[in-house]
Amino acid sequence: MSPSSKELIKYPFYLIVHPFNGYWELKYERSNKWNVIISFVILFLLALTNILHSQYAGFLVNIYNPKEMNSLMEFLYVIVPVLFWCIANWSLTTLMDGEGKFVEIFNSTCFALIPLVVINFPWIWLSNVVALEETTFYYFSRSFAVIWFVFLLFVGNMTVHQYTPLKTIFTMLLTLLAIGFMAFLCLLFFSLVQQIISFISVIYQEMVMRG
Amino acid sequence: MTSNRKRKLVIMLVLSVALLLSPITGTATVQAEGASNSYNYSFWGNTVVSPDAYDATKLLTGHNLGVGSLKDPSDLHVTADGHIYVLDSGNNRIIVLDDKFKLLHIIDSFEHAGQQDTFASPQGIFVTEHNQLYIADTGNKRVVHLDEQRQLVQIVDSPQSELLQANFEFKPVRVVVDKANRIYVMATGVFDGFMEFNANGEFTTFIGANRVNVDPLEYLWKTLSTREQRSQMVQFTPTEFTNLDINDEGFIYATNGDQWGDNIKKLNAQGTDILRREGYFNPTGDIRYRVTDGPSRMIDIDVTDSEIYSVLDSKRGRIFTYNGDGHLMYVFGGLGNQLGKFTTPVAIERVGDQMLVLDKALGEITVFETTPYGRTLNEAVRSYYRGDEEAAFQRYLETINMNANLEFAYSGIGKALLRQGNYGEAMKYFKESYDNKGYSKAFLLHRKEILRSYFPTIMTILVTLLLAIFVWRKVRKWKGGKKIVTIE
Repeated sequence: MSPSSKELIKYPFYLIVHPFNGYWELKYERSNKWNVIISFVILFLLALTNILHSQYAGFLVNIYNPKEMNSLMEFLYVIVPVLFWCIANWSLTTLMDGEGKFVEIFNSTCFALIPLVVINFPWIWLSNVVALEETTFYYFSRSFAVIWFVFLLFVGNMTVHQYTPLKTIFTMLLTLLAIGFMAFLCLLFFSLVQQIISFISVIYQEMVMRG
Repeated sequence: MTSNRKRKLVIMLVLSVALLLSPITGTATVQAEGASNSYNYSFWGNTVVSPDAYDATKLLTGHNLGVGSLKDPSDLHVTADGHIYVLDSGNNRIIVLDDKFKLLHIIDSFEHAGQQDTFASPQGIFVTEHNQLYIADTGNKRVVHLDEQRQLVQIVDSPQSELLQANFEFKPVRVVVDKANRIYVMATGVFDGFMEFNANGEFTTFIGANRVNVDPLEYLWKTLSTREQRSQMVQFTPTEFTNLDINDEGFIYATNGDQWGDNIKKLNAQGTDILRREGYFNPTGDIRYRVTDGPSRMIDIDVTDSEIYSVLDSKRGRIFTYNGDGHLMYVFGGLGNQLGKFTTPVAIERVGDQMLVLDKALGEITVFETTPYGRTLNEAVRSYYRGDEEAAFQRYLETINMNANLEFAYSGIGKALLRQGNYGEAMKYFKESYDNKGYSKAFLLHRKEILRSYFPTIMTILVTLLLAIFVWRKVRKWKGGKKIVTIE
């Protein structure tokens, strides 16, 4: 059964204003296939918002160096943290009696990102018509979006894993710690691989030079 | 001798570069003048090329002045009427030149208590606008004040105060005097700032002490070590000042040898630092350097009219000039053996728009003249300072024609356009110089203008829309009502 397209668009908006009901439905009542599709759309829209922001947001809130702007990197800046969060959260909650599957964690995280798109996107254009004194509203909205996002993440985590609020907060903090560990391990891994590659290439060079 | 040779060399260089470039670019434009040898820093902190603002034109030595070679000269001073005072420390004398660099006279002694007295390796000199001469006579531990007839007025020595330690040794190295004849002395071994003396030569107070900068790593070692070890270590002391100058409003501009923090200061009468730091970077000399070389070490400062000041970096021999807002205007000089480079620069001073740089070890003075670019930029900054926006606008336009990389100049143009009421254009220029305050100001006025001009249209559309919605609702209600009726 495929839900109507109108319903598909309406549902994410319903979720961000009714997070408790919305996440319950997300976990127990809706098809995972469509949820994953929506999640990817949200990720894409968020990256798009960020790219458009650095290109078109008003001068007063967005002094950026065009030489350092890279659209592909903007996608990575969205996808990598989300993946890190999901993996860390999943690894922790499997040990901590969480009921969430990986796909549910991923969906709940992506749905929590909606406010960052919904609030920041109009501000890309609005920021072009504000003066320096009015940029306060801009910064207020952005902080509001972040707070909303954190709240949704919290509710999503709680619902997906069927945790108590306190345990959710604890798990989320632990997740951050785990992300730190993962980043460190990745760094270690990449630098080791780099060393191995350079070692092999040096040996190859030497053989070519002598031979 | 070298000026001609240098010109030849430059022409040859330009030609060879042009030859090299011509196959690539097809049409090579040969620029004889204003070659981009200098640099500036962009908003993003990158080094960008800039035309030379100053060119070395002359080298003054003791021999071509006819006074025998200079020995370790350490200070320069130029009065408002263009007289140049060179303090020839090693020979214990002062050489006075006019603005054409012709020798006027030499001061090597003065009458003191009925007999001839001389200096002992004096390090600093200052001349007030009334031609009063103040010499920091370091070897004799005193400051000597001579009047315009070169007669002794007073000697400032062995200051007495409870602020000073009992075994304090007064070793003045630099001296400036303000309009009220207060004497400010920079003395070695003093960490509390400058010593201020009143007009009678009595010590009054210290002003403008530097802050103590503590290296975190060193601090850690110190906290870990025992009391005995600690007593062996170097104490944390504030850095000493390295030089000072005073402008016509009586503000002291000072440099210190700090490796980080603010190494250029503008002190008011209370000794608070009031230097405006509104440029893209704080005025500290070079902001990009090799870690092994470290940041600039300022050893002299010269402040001129319109709040323009120049500082001398002894580490790389460069002279940095900033405007009153703290924007880097231009850089010139350097270490080396060519004309326009130095070995051990110690002092800088302006004669009109010429810049004199004193080299201590070689005993030479290099004279720099402004290039057309430097002249235009100076004039632009001055016009703006005077409030002559129209002239500033023209000069800034000429400046960016010669150097499109000079970002703060765009802001100057923007300000003039803003004053003229051309808000849309002003916004563009402010954006170009990353000046968001100026941009916002222009933008507010621009927005108001646009809203005002489109107000009738906007209102008409709004009213029509409201009316349309109202009518549409009425119609729907009426139709809907009919529908319900038919169903029933």
